[in-house]
Amino acid sequence: MGPATPLLRITNLTKRYGGLLALSDVSFSIGKGELLGLIGPNGSGKTTLFECLGGVLPSDGGQVLRDDGRPLAAHERRDLLFYLPDGIAPWPAQRVRWALDFAIGFFGGDHSHRQDVIERLAIAPFLDMPIGALSKGQRKRALLAIGLLTPQPILLADEPFDGLDLRQTREVAQALRDYAAQGRTMFLSIHQIADAARVCDRFVLLSGGRAVGEGTFDGRDLEEVFLALT
Amino acid sequence: MRSRKSRAAWLLEKEWRELLASRAWWAFLLLIGPLVGVSFIDAVRTYAEASGLNGTAAGVGEAFSPLIGVWAPTFSACELGAAFLLPFVAIRLVGGDKQSGALKLEAQHPFSAFTRTSAKALVLLAGWIIASAAPFIAIVLWKVYGGTLHPPEIASVVLGHLLNAGLVVALAAAAACVTEHPSTAAIVTLGVTVGTWILNFAAAVHGGLWERAAGYTPTAMVADFQHGLVRADVLLMASAFIAALLALAAIWMRIGVPVRRRAYESLALAVVTVIGASLCAVPAASWDLSENRANSFPRADEEALREIRRPLRIEARLAPEDPRRFDLEHRALSKLRRVLPGVQISYVSATSIGLFEQSNPHYGEITYELDGRTTVSRSTTVEGVLEAIYDLAGIAPPAPSDADIFRGHPLAAPPNGAALIFYGVWPAAVLGASLAWRKQ
Repeated sequence: MGPATPLLRITNLTKRYGGLLALSDVSFSIGKGELLGLIGPNGSGKTTLFECLGGVLPSDGGQVLRDDGRPLAAHERRDLLFYLPDGIAPWPAQRVRWALDFAIGFFGGDHSHRQDVIERLAIAPFLDMPIGALSKGQRKRALLAIGLLTPQPILLADEPFDGLDLRQTREVAQALRDYAAQGRTMFLSIHQIADAARVCDRFVLLSGGRAVGEGTFDGRDLEEVFLALT
Repeated sequence: MRSRKSRAAWLLEKEWRELLASRAWWAFLLLIGPLVGVSFIDAVRTYAEASGLNGTAAGVGEAFSPLIGVWAPTFSACELGAAFLLPFVAIRLVGGDKQSGALKLEAQHPFSAFTRTSAKALVLLAGWIIASAAPFIAIVLWKVYGGTLHPPEIASVVLGHLLNAGLVVALAAAAACVTEHPSTAAIVTLGVTVGTWILNFAAAVHGGLWERAAGYTPTAMVADFQHGLVRADVLLMASAFIAALLALAAIWMRIGVPVRRRAYESLALAVVTVIGASLCAVPAASWDLSENRANSFPRADEEALREIRRPLRIEARLAPEDPRRFDLEHRALSKLRRVLPGVQISYVSATSIGLFEQSNPHYGEITYELDGRTTVSRSTTVEGVLEAIYDLAGIAPPAPSDADIFRGHPLAAPPNGAALIFYGVWPAAVLGASLAWRKQ
């Protein structure tokens, strides 16, 4: 089942690594202001899908279409999407405070959101620490702050809760929900089904490089759906 | 509320901060001072001794050119730094983004990859200019000792080393973008540097096209500039290669583009570069900025030679490794090319060293041909070459004049205080600045 107000439509996205078919004709929609979860077992192609959508990995086929059916050009994609990869430590020698200012200045974000993001993600205690010196959870929150400060209407976050404890996961989930309520679309790749169920409104289920399900799964246990389809 | 600073300013600030955060750059800065110090102190001491310091017999005044005696060796430390230290700084700055994952974020910015690569190159050149403070301290010391300066020749040396640094930065940036890991990039960069040395060696042995190509290696380019000679073709060639290497870096920095497409674009770039380089080699303009006109004939001879309107051909039967050929080329023919760009010069030899050609009665002959007439000479001196040409062209040699004679600038002053500055103050200042930056 698609979103109420589609923003983008991904059709037949395909990616090969040599002989390995990582994504095979993946199609789904992204709606305005929704919290869309990308779920799937390890190796199902979640990160590859995000990297192809984010434009940091070339795809071998498929299209990203606007709500009016027009294909999205590369420069338009940069205006619409911001991809936040997992497992990176950008500018490791720079302090978190500077990295946030850089994200605002370089990517054209709004400075008035800065304090709110800092408070919502509880990153004030380590603002003056270099990114390379942060713990995994601290780094994840700093990266999410960078992503939330960028201006694109769709944020693709790969494993946004990885490395966070339960309390932090809930706080970050609430923050993401609130930003989505303000109109920003959050597309989150999550391998922990419990986390995904807690945060997202709608899901795309990926298995073996194929989109095997898309929808809200209302009233059904997401874990059962996951096990049944993967 | 948007940032008041432009996005380009943010990009440059980011690159600048990354450079300052790089241990490789601080290590480079730390080492360049003592390297320049060793070269400068040794050069000044030798210059002073030749000028009569400590009771030694003073040499011939004309031999005392600070350009050759002091600045060429002092700035040669920069060449060493550019070959062995600067590549690591550049690879760290360019490859660091790939290693940390920052590239995946920055690649999503509308700035083109060429803009981002150029920003890195600009910041690296700024870092290089800061490191160049060491030879500039040497210039101040030289003035304090009472030495003379001829600013145009210093400008020539600085320009040569700046272009060399630009080439190294562009090469290292391309290597860092094309390869997956910084260590591979370092090997590729050093491999290319060693490759240019092999080219120089091949040129010395085989001559011909090798010799022509070797004229554009960084080593040969720096040598020209260190002698006060600024050649338009070398300037254009270096600029073309810098632009091409930065373009190659930009092609491979675009991580969202298929590898096959990047490979095709690289091939197209190579073709364009070869065509561009061929065109860059055409201009013959050059400027001799040395005070002693080391790269020029006396002015009166130049005026007399410019009267020759018909094509002059010179064929020298000398092997590439024959010292007479070196003399002929560097003392006479290179100067002749500057006055008569249309002169056709060819070298003929059956072997590379010429030792076994001595039995050939024609070996060592230099044949001059002008307007159907020929003359043969064996002289490899300036005077001998000019005499043969004047004789052939029917031009009266100009009367000798004292106006062009370089009287030299002997200076019998020891390098007092230089060791303290380069071995003590410089490293302490660099370490202090590094610590201050880290605490900031």
